[in-house]
Parts: sequence; C-alpha cells; structure tokens
Amino acid sequence: MAEGTVISVEESARAAVERQPLVAPGRTMGWISDYVSSIVESQSPRWWWVAISITGSLTLLLLACLTYLVATGVGVWGNNHPVGWAWDITNFVFWIGIGHAGTLISAILFLTRQKWRTSINRAAEAMTLFAVICAAIYPTMHVGRVWMSWFLIPVPNANGIWQNFRSPLMWDGFAVLTYFLVSVLFWYTGLIPDLATLRDRATTKVRKFFYGILALGWRGGNRQWRHYEMAYLLLAGLSTPLVLSVHSVVSFDFAASVIPGWHTTIFPPYFVAGAIFGGFAMVLTILIPARAVYRPLGDLITVSHIDKMCKVLLFTGSIVGYAYLMEMFMAWYSGNPFERATFWYRVTGPYWWAYALMILCNVAMPQLLWFRFFRTHVIWVFVIAMFANVGMWFERFVIVATSLTRDFLPSSWGMFHPTWVDIATFAGTLGLFGTLFLLFIRFLPMVCMFEVKAVLPSANPNPGGKH
Amino acid sequence: MKRKLPHPPRENHPALWRSFAELENTPEFAHVIEREFPGGTARNGSGLTKRDFVKLMGASVALTALTGCRRPEAQLVPFTKGVEWSVPGKFLYYATAMPIRGGAMPLVASTVDGRPTKLEGNPLHPASNGATDAFAQASVLDLYDPHRSRAVKRGGRDVLAGEFEAYLAQISEKRPDGLAFLVERKNSPTRDRLRGELEQRFPGLIWSEYEPLGDDREAVTAAFGPGVRLVPKFERADVILALDSDFLSSASEYGPAYAAGFYPRRNPDQLGAPMNRLYVVENHFTCTGGMADHRYRCKASLVGEFARRLATRIVDLTNHSGLATLLGAAPQTKADFDEKWIAECAADLARNPGRSLVLAGGQQPAWVQGLVFSINEALGNHGMTILGVADEAPPAAPLGRLVEAIRGGAVKTLFILGGNPAYNAPANFALRDLLTRVPEVVRVGLFEDETSAVSEWHVPAAHYLEAWGDARTFEGTYTAIQPMLMPLWGGVSELEVLARLGGNAQPSGLELVQQTYRILSGAASTDPKDAVFLQGWSEFLRNGFLPGSQATAKDLAFRATEVVRLAEAAAPVEAGIELVFLQSSSVDDGRYANNSWLQETPDFETKVTWDNVALVSPATAERLGIRANNFGLLQKVTALNHEVDFDMVADLITLNAGGVAIEAAAIVAPGHADDSISLALGYGRKGVSALFENVGFDAYPLRTSESPRFRTAISVSGTGRTYPLARTQEHKSMEGRDLFREATRERYKKNPKFVQSMGLVDAHNPPTTSLYEHPRLTAPEQWGMAIDLNTCIGCSACAVACQAENNVPVVGKAEVRRNRDMAWMRIDRYFAGSPENPEMLAQAMLCQHCENAPCESVCPVNATVHSEEGLNLMAYNRCIGTRYCANNCPWKVRRFNYFDYNQRPLEELYWGPLAPKGMADSLKMVKNPNVTVRMRGVMEKCTFCIQRIEEAKISRMVQAGPRNKYDVPVPKFQTACQQACPSDAIVFGNIADPKDRVTRLRQSDRGYVTLKYLNTQPRVTYLARIKNPNPAMPDAAMVGMANGPAGGHH
Repeated sequence: MAEGTVISVEESARAAVERQPLVAPGRTMGWISDYVSSIVESQSPRWWWVAISITGSLTLLLLACLTYLVATGVGVWGNNHPVGWAWDITNFVFWIGIGHAGTLISAILFLTRQKWRTSINRAAEAMTLFAVICAAIYPTMHVGRVWMSWFLIPVPNANGIWQNFRSPLMWDGFAVLTYFLVSVLFWYTGLIPDLATLRDRATTKVRKFFYGILALGWRGGNRQWRHYEMAYLLLAGLSTPLVLSVHSVVSFDFAASVIPGWHTTIFPPYFVAGAIFGGFAMVLTILIPARAVYRPLGDLITVSHIDKMCKVLLFTGSIVGYAYLMEMFMAWYSGNPFERATFWYRVTGPYWWAYALMILCNVAMPQLLWFRFFRTHVIWVFVIAMFANVGMWFERFVIVATSLTRDFLPSSWGMFHPTWVDIATFAGTLGLFGTLFLLFIRFLPMVCMFEVKAVLPSANPNPGGKH
Repeated sequence: MKRKLPHPPRENHPALWRSFAELENTPEFAHVIEREFPGGTARNGSGLTKRDFVKLMGASVALTALTGCRRPEAQLVPFTKGVEWSVPGKFLYYATAMPIRGGAMPLVASTVDGRPTKLEGNPLHPASNGATDAFAQASVLDLYDPHRSRAVKRGGRDVLAGEFEAYLAQISEKRPDGLAFLVERKNSPTRDRLRGELEQRFPGLIWSEYEPLGDDREAVTAAFGPGVRLVPKFERADVILALDSDFLSSASEYGPAYAAGFYPRRNPDQLGAPMNRLYVVENHFTCTGGMADHRYRCKASLVGEFARRLATRIVDLTNHSGLATLLGAAPQTKADFDEKWIAECAADLARNPGRSLVLAGGQQPAWVQGLVFSINEALGNHGMTILGVADEAPPAAPLGRLVEAIRGGAVKTLFILGGNPAYNAPANFALRDLLTRVPEVVRVGLFEDETSAVSEWHVPAAHYLEAWGDARTFEGTYTAIQPMLMPLWGGVSELEVLARLGGNAQPSGLELVQQTYRILSGAASTDPKDAVFLQGWSEFLRNGFLPGSQATAKDLAFRATEVVRLAEAAAPVEAGIELVFLQSSSVDDGRYANNSWLQETPDFETKVTWDNVALVSPATAERLGIRANNFGLLQKVTALNHEVDFDMVADLITLNAGGVAIEAAAIVAPGHADDSISLALGYGRKGVSALFENVGFDAYPLRTSESPRFRTAISVSGTGRTYPLARTQEHKSMEGRDLFREATRERYKKNPKFVQSMGLVDAHNPPTTSLYEHPRLTAPEQWGMAIDLNTCIGCSACAVACQAENNVPVVGKAEVRRNRDMAWMRIDRYFAGSPENPEMLAQAMLCQHCENAPCESVCPVNATVHSEEGLNLMAYNRCIGTRYCANNCPWKVRRFNYFDYNQRPLEELYWGPLAPKGMADSLKMVKNPNVTVRMRGVMEKCTFCIQRIEEAKISRMVQAGPRNKYDVPVPKFQTACQQACPSDAIVFGNIADPKDRVTRLRQSDRGYVTLKYLNTQPRVTYLARIKNPNPAMPDAAMVGMANGPAGGHH
C-alpha cells in the first residue's frame, strides 16, 4: 500500500515534469505529410470561397481608398493641425507590431531550442510578412506627395541632396525594409523542403511546374540538409537582433521627438514587448479558427501550444502594463508640468475612453491567463487574444494621436475625428491581410511538415530516454 | 535697348481705325470690340480671357506710369514687348489710398507687371505711420474677386455700357425733378466739388449719406457747432477712459492712426513719456478692452448711465458748473455699478486735467457723447488731448430724410453709389420695400447684391484700385487715390457717374481729380505744359498727398446748452436683455462678406471664422440655458478637465424684439457683460454670390435708426437646434504655462528681470546645453524678431498681411472646422482670471526659427534645413509631406496642404480629380510672384519673408558693385507682418548687429523666449506685457496677474 502510493506519486510527478508530447500520440510522419499536404491539394472548401470573397472585397476597398487618397490629398483622412499623424501611423505601428511574433517564434525560439515552435512557426511567419506588407502601405501612402517618395531612398540624383540620416523616419524605413527582406528569406528558406514535398506529391503539370520552381531543386540529400541547416541557423541569427531592433527603431519615431508623451526613453523595450504581445495575440487569433476548421490540425497545434503562447502573452502583457505604470510614474517624478499634463490628460481628457480601453484589453484581460483554465480553454483564449488585438491598436492610437492633440501651446490643441476613408482604409488592410493569409492556406503548407516530423517521438533516436 | 513707346496723337478722331463704326465710335461698337468674339460665343464666366489680361495689364502700366507727366492716353502695351519702366519681376510702388468712412487710409501699392498684389501704409503720409489694418490688407483681394459684377444690367437684363452712358446723358440734359443720391460717407474733395455742381444743375437734389457704422456727427455738431471734427491726441494723454469705444482696432475709423498715437505711451522703459493708463468700459471684449489696465463690464445701454455717474463724481472733484447743469438734465437709469470703481477712475481723471481723455463710442446715443464731451470740457481736455479741426466735408442729409422723401413720393430717380442700403439700412426704414416705390433706382456697386435686386439699373463699380479718386485723411491732408490698373470688368467710378450727370460727356477720372488738385494746391492750370503744375502734380502722386493741406485747427467752443437739449430729449434705458450690434472684425458692416481672406481671419476674441456669433456672458448663458461651448475653460490641467466639446457646435437661439425675430448661434464669451448679447453685423446675407451666401446671422433686422448701437428689451428663447462653428482656437486658458508673461509696472520696477522667474520649467531648469554640436551660424546677418506683447493689440493686421504677402491659401469653413487653417501667423488668445471678468492675452505666434530646430532633425528628406543666417528654411520642391516636422514643432506653426487649395474649388475639395482644376484667372493676379504657390502635400510655414530678405541682399550686391558686399549694409526692409503692424509691436532685424533695434529688444529685461527649457533656441523673442494699474482701484489686485499671483513661481 505504502509502496504503491510511493510509486503512483512518483509516476504522477514524472508525468508532470515530463514534457507533454508536442504532437498528439498516434500521428505518424506519413499522416503529417498526407494531412498537411491535403489541405493544399484538395479542392477549395466553400467556407474558403466565402471568406476570400469578403476579404477580397475589402482589399478592393483598400485599393479604392488609396487611389482616392493619392488622387485627392491626405485631407480625405481626418488628420489635421495639430494631429499630423493619426490612424495612418497608428495602423502602421499596429501592423508592424503584429509582424513581430512570426520571426520571434522562428528565430529566437529556434536559437533557444524551443521545439514547440515547429507546428506554429510557418503560419506565424507568413502572418508576419503579411502584417509587414499591410504596415508598409501606411508610411508609403500617408505622405503628401506619394509620387516623390523616392526622395527617401538614397540614390544619387541630380539635385545633389542627400537624405537626412538624423531623422528617425530614415532609420525606420531601413529597419522595416531590412526586417521584411530577412523575414522573407527566412520564411522561404524554411519552406524549401516542404515545397519539395508538395512538388513530389503533385499530380498536375501546373503544380509540378510551380512547386518545382519554388523548391529550387531540393532533393533532400545529406549535403543539402547540411547546407540548409547552416543557412537556417545563420538566418535565425540575423533575424534575432532584427526582431528587437525593428520595433525599437519604430519607437524612435516618437522617442526622438520633443512632444510630451512621445519623448520617452522607455519606448524601445516597451514597444518591443508590446509588439510581441500583439503578435502572439494575432497568431492565436488566426490559429484558433484554423484549428477549428481543420480539426486534425489540433493534433499538431495542441492545447499545450496554446498554453505556451498564452504564457508569452501574459508575460509581455505584464511588461506592457509595467511600462504604462512607469510612464505615469516618470511623468510625475520628472516634475515636468508638460509631461504631467499630457499623461493626466490621457487618463482624464476627452480620450480617457481610449486609455481605459487600452488598460482593460492589454493589462486587465491578460491577467486571466494566470489561470490554467483560461490558458487551455480555446474560446477564452480567442476572446482574450481579440481583446489584446483591440488593446494594442488603442495603445498606438493613444500614443500617436492623443499625444498630438494636446502638446505645448493650449492655443493649438485640437481633436481628431476619423473620416470614412480612415475607417475604410483600415478595414481594407484587414482585408488584404486576410486575403493573403487565405491564399497562403490554399497554396502553401500551413505547418512546417519536416520540422514537426523531427519532434515526433518516432524521430527520437533514443526513444523512452529520460535524459 | 528697350523700345520707347511712340506717343499717340492727340486728335479726337483716331488716326487709325478698323471700321467706320470705330471712327464714329458709337457705344454699340465699343461694346462689340470689347468682346473677343462679337457673335457672343466667347468669354467663359469664370475669369478674364488671356487677351483681356494682356490688354488690361499693358494698358494699366501705361496709364499709371505715365500719368504723372503726360496726357491721359491709355496705351495698349502687350508685355510681349518690353516696356522701359517695367523690369519683369520687379515691383513698382505707387502711392494711393483706400477710402474709408469719412477719410482714407494712405497706402503704397506694390504692383508687378501692372497688377497690384500688396498694399502697405504710406510712411511719408502725415496721417500714417506706414501701418495698415486687416481690411486694407485684404482689400486687394476684393479687386480680383471673380464674383464682382461685370455687366451693366437694366431690369435684370444685360445691356451695353453705352446704354447707361446715354441714360446719364439724358438725365443730365433733361434735368428731371426728384433726383436723389444715396452714397457712402467719404471725404473726397472731388466728389464734394461734383456734388456742388450737381446741386446747381438739379435744384432740390437730395444728397444723402449713410454708413451703418459711421460716427454719428450729430453730437459733435451740437456740441461744437458745424464744420468741426475732433482729433484725439493719444500721445498727450496720461489717463484714457474709453466708454464703449474700441478706438484701437479697425472698428474705429482710424484704428491704425490712433494706435500710432497710443502705443508709444505704453512703453514702460521710455524716459520722458510715462506710461499711460487705460480704463475701458464695454460690454464685450474688444482689442481696446484687452489692452486696458482696468476694464469694467457694462451693458452698452448702460454706458450712458455709467458716464452720468462718473460725471457726478467729476463734478464733485472739479465743481464744474456746466457739467453739473447737464447732469440735471441727463436721464437717470437704475443700475448697479461698482461705485468705488467709478469714484477712483473719476479721481484719476480729475488728477490729470488736460492730460486725460474720455472717449465715447461713435454709435452711442448723442446725449451720451455730449455728456462725454462735457466731461472732457470739465477736465480741461479740449485743446489739450482733444483738438478741433475744420471739417471741410459739406453736411449731407441723413438717411432718414431721404426715406421721408421717398415715402412722400418726392424721389423719382435715386442713384445709390456704393454701399448696400437695401441690406444694411435701419430696419424701421424698411428701405428694401421703399426702393421698389422709386421709379428709377440706379445702383453702382462692386457686387450684385440685395440693393441691385431692387434697382432698375445695376452698374458695376470700379474698385478704388481701378479708378482715380482723392480723399482727405482724418486730419485733413489731401490724398491721392491712383488707379493701379484699368477696370478689370468695365466698372465705372462714382466720380465718372457724377461728372456725366453734370454734363461731362467724356469724363476722365484723372482730369476730375486734377481740377480739384488745382483748386486745392493753388496751381494756375491743369495744362500739362505748365511746368509748375506738372511738378506739383507729379510730387502729389509720388508722395500720395499734398503737403501742408492738413485741416486748419479750430478752437473748440463747447456749447453746453445744446448738449443739455440732447440730454433732455433722451429717455431712461429699458431694463432686460440688450442686443449690441458690433462691427465685424472680418466683414466690417458686410462690405467684405465676399472676401475670403477676411472671412477666414479669426475674430480676435472668439477665434470664430466664417461666421458671426452671439456672445453671451457665462452667467447669462446659464440663466438662458445656453450650453457653454467648450466651457470649464479656466481650470488647471491638474483638475479634472471636462473640456470635451471640441466639436465646435453652438446652440441656436432666437432673439426677438418688436415682433421681429432673428436666429443666431450663441457662445459663451468670458468677460462679457451680463444681460447683454453682442452680435456682429454684416453676416447672414442671402441671395448674394454663391460662395458666402448664408454665412452667419443677419442682425440688421433688429437694428433701428433710433438706437444703432443696441436694442433693449430683447426676448431670448432657445431653438433646441445647434449650429456648427469653425474656430481656430478652442482652448481659452494658458493652463499655467506662462507662454504669455506680464506684470504690473510696480512689480517690473521692483524686479526688472521678473520674466526670468516665470515659465514653469524654464525658471528652474539649469542652463541647458546641447550634446550635439550644431553647425555654426556664420553669416554676418543673423535674422531675428522681437514681438512686444505690451503694444500688440491683437488686431490681426499682421495675419492678413502675411496671407497677402505669402500667398497663404484659404481653406473654407468646413476645413477650418477640421483644424486645417493655413495661417502662417496667428494670434493666440488666452484668458486669465475668472471667467466672468478675465484678462485677455493676445500673442502673435509664428515660426520661431529655432537655431536648434526640432522640425529640421526629423525631416527624412532634408526638406527643412537651416540657413547660415539662422533661418529655418522650407524647400517645397523637396518636401514629400511626412508631416513629422509639424508634429515635432512645439509651437505648432507648421501648416500642411491637406488638399490642393490653390487648384480646386473649396466646396469640391473632396472630389479630387473630378473637381475642375485651376483657380480663377483673376485670383492668380493677386499672387505675389516672388513666393511659390504651394501644391497639395507639402508643408509650409513662416519664412521670415525670405523673399524680402533676398531682395534686400540682392540690392546690396548691386550697390556694392565690385566692392566686398559685406562692406555695404543690407538696405532697410521689413517683414510683411512688421510693416502692417499699427503699433510697432513686431521688430525684425539682424541680431548679429549690436546696434540693430531687434538686438536691443532681445536683450531687454522684458525679453524672453517661449518654451526655453526645450533648448531649441528660438529666434523670436517676446517682450512681456506691463500693466499700469491704479492701486486705488478695487480690481487692482487682479491686474497683470496672467501668470498667477506668485508671478511664475508655481
């Protein structure tokens, strides 16, 4: 009896300490290839057509809005004096923030040997790219003379005028562009073995041709694998600082200014934490429905994965909450009346509701994730992730727009009111994001097959080993 | 070699002719050749044709440049051939003047390629210090207004101009009975002369003058006899009391001229001229009230009672018997005044006999003005601070007499020259209906308006920059009004109409004025061969005035009995809510309703554009249930801030009196008198031109001839509806930020460096240093500016001058509501103190040209950079419009072109490429050719008038020739705002030159820069305002306290 108790305690302790299997038991390598490829190979389901017709329409709306914007002037948005940047830069920072999770999962978690990343990294990276594309639309299109945007690029020109490298906008441009290029390379490199799988399984000539081109002649030989792994490692190493730098640099747009509410040294870490928070929220927002639609995916993206992502959400959300507190504290502690007024205005001014919403979504709601129940209940997780999405948008709005509504001279204070074009343009980028993601689901393997196979128990050369 | 033009032959018949019709020169033919395609297909409605443009410009250059010395032939000189007196792109300057009520504002017009683009004051003129007001600055836009009327109309149909000339000739010949004239008040000797001739030709002619906002001369004539005008001498007055008199702003007829006398006495540092003290009693905040050392809120209808109580005190102090007699006759009204305020003010006046000055608003009832004259008499001010001069303008019939004549059927033909009486005549005359009873109404006006609608004839008038004229300024100097170009749309001048009626078949404005000139100057003839005449006339035109032609001084013989009679006829004032009719700071009496520059210039107090609003005091608003737009204003940021109503929506109220009701949007105005509502005149016009129709609310229906200033016993009710307003500044409190600094004179004496202890962080911050080494500013000229808040009256002349000089676009009401006004220069207005009775602070705000500019470091494309002369430059070509610079500007002075304001109609901005492109041709002509017209998508801001800086530097290089250019000083020049400023509050110059005035001002004890702690090193220095309160006054402790009782030590 006593001995039996000891054994059962030992077993349960071992069970608790032992890692949960990353793939549900019973799923073989063959099943993984078959199932993940089948999503791409089967006919488009009806829901997909419905979904893409909605997101496609919104994408067309985006095109229409941008055409209207460029043809008419920035005035079709609600931007004004003193609010020179409003939804445009809010949306830019929002999207670029979302674009953080993918590369973080792929690169940092790769370097830190977090194997649970394998089943989500492909989708997360794709989402990153699509988010960065959505983000890039704003700084490109929000300028007054879009046709002169090439002035931002340091090319030799007859004017003999060089760019102003003191401007954070320049750094921003470089940072985002670099991040995008490296992320594309990283994502594509990771895709090559799976593209080869699709090529090999292809039954039509067209598919053979396209996947054949994209697979770059991958045959799966030892040498190729050696080169591949080295390249992937190097790219992961390159991407890792970028994950941290891109949002730090984005935050310089504000931190390097003199405007109270912008001029804050805490911004780089605060923005990075916020970006990871927002990015993971978006990964969850996308994968939870995907799991629901393609039910067997739940065996690859398990509740345990969701639980882990929730922990990241909780951690970064807490950092963000700390940053909010610290901003307030510093405004008070600095003794600078302009800073104090700005932050007090955030809480009590006409935009108090935006601030309150931000605190609710980004600080209060994630606290539920302390409880395992919420972390493992996908509906709750989805709701909390949606809150985080909304909250992160409002965080950027509070920082970007409301700081501008009231700065130094009370004579110049004013409010911002979005126009229908502001709203439609934002809806349009959501549509573009959705469209790209839906196309991704249909044409590329959503889960990194070869990496997931590597974390199967059957891939372990030392099965049952406890060390 | 430039070609010299041949002089045209002087025969009456043209030597060259194209047809027999031309040789006969019939009016029909003239009309035919006027049109490019006689068949009637040509002439789009929107503007001049290109051919017209070349023709007019050429003609006008020939005309203006030649007139000084030649017969008045107008030559057509196309600019395809260079003309000797015109250097392309170089300005030619001509002296002229703008006629204003009862006088003229002497001007110098800058013309380029034959078109005037900018007006400045004429510094040579004795009645001008070279300054102007907002109206004069904007009047050049009226000239080019595409909405101006263009065709002679009879019975609503277009007719040939010749038909009108024939009509005039017919009247002149037949001399019918019942001829009457209704004209604007001007002081034009030529018009007076022609009028005299007409009166001989048409016995029984009625000559009536009407100005909705003119000074009532009744009281002056009663008190001092006919033919006298009063000229206040502000420079001699130590104590000034203004009773409902806004003498400093344009609201006074001579605002700039009065300000020029007033401001030198506000300098606390001036030796030998002690600071004056200004008491103001008024119902709403005026510019003058904002300048006051002591301001008392008083209903406009009770100003008379206030003056009576003041007079009682003065009688106690001076024992003046005449004043005592008058007091016995003056009506008494029950009113609750601060008696100590009155007593101490009276004591201060009485302490300064002969050095004090009491003014009453020209629209106040005659007995009130008479009482004020009497007070001045008792104080011995007549002949000291108030001088009398001869008034040469012959008296005219008041409108009332003309109305009686029309009612009696005595008027058969009525000429309405200028003005818009159908719109702005007193409501009790019902003139619009009356005019339909006159068989023939001939109306000459710039616009087809309400009066044109009830007139048989409408004839386009020539703008004052298009026609010859003359005027006397307020102190009587004979002044030339020279045309700058030929009438753009065939307008005729008032003088020509009068001359034709007088039998002159081919009148020439030039000859008409020359004849008057000959009489006034004593020249023997107007023969161009007469060298004496020629020289004098050229000088007259060059200088713009006839030297020594000031009105002769007249002793002021006060006729107490007449004034007593006025007082006896007056009745006590009814209680209840009053409505006060204001002059609009934007559209005057409505005459500038079509001027978009003025419409978009914010009212100095409310900062409302494109509308007039009913102003109500906080207490009255609460009582009447008018919701405060954006109230809760004077709370500190540290208190919970409820200032959330930024939508700029105001409650609509109905004002009812005598069965007539008008609607108006009401806003709460700090410092307004209780039970009083102020509403500016000139708005709410209907059926006028398309653009400014239905802007604001018409107050004229409630205004009667008995009481032009106010209407008592108004009943007010809410409508439950709201009205959108476009305000450029919503916030009223400075939030304790010490952007504007002031102190009392006493405190300034005790602590001359008081400004250094103000400004939140500024005072306590250790000296800031830059971590980053900035490029050294090495040029010998370093431009900087000083703005003296002590003399700035907040009149907005600088803002309009800037708009005219720098081609600043107008954006329209809808865009102002979206906070997209484009003003490079604005007047920030704050209130300090209690909402009931605060101080008003006006601060001119423009690009600070920071040496360490936050805008420059953030521009990614180097579109805004620093010059070696310390200018913050804007390269429009390089700007891509990220708007980062504007975000990072702590002063928010940068303006972004959210739309193509210059290329698209304002009402179709949102139509983008679907809207028609291009601006009216005539509006292109007002643009300053030396300043880029900005396109959409670029940022713009104050440049310190870099075009003027460069012009001066170029002329230095020309002067220097082979020498080192730096050995030659840069010629004197002014920025546009500085040049317009009537009180010399803006000083611009080279701060690297220790002798330059701006350098001395920057080093003044009162000098400070705003937001110093940011270490941006602004080049604009503000000089703190010093108030000169009377310590005995009950409100003395509240004066000069904008920065709090501790004066900056928070």
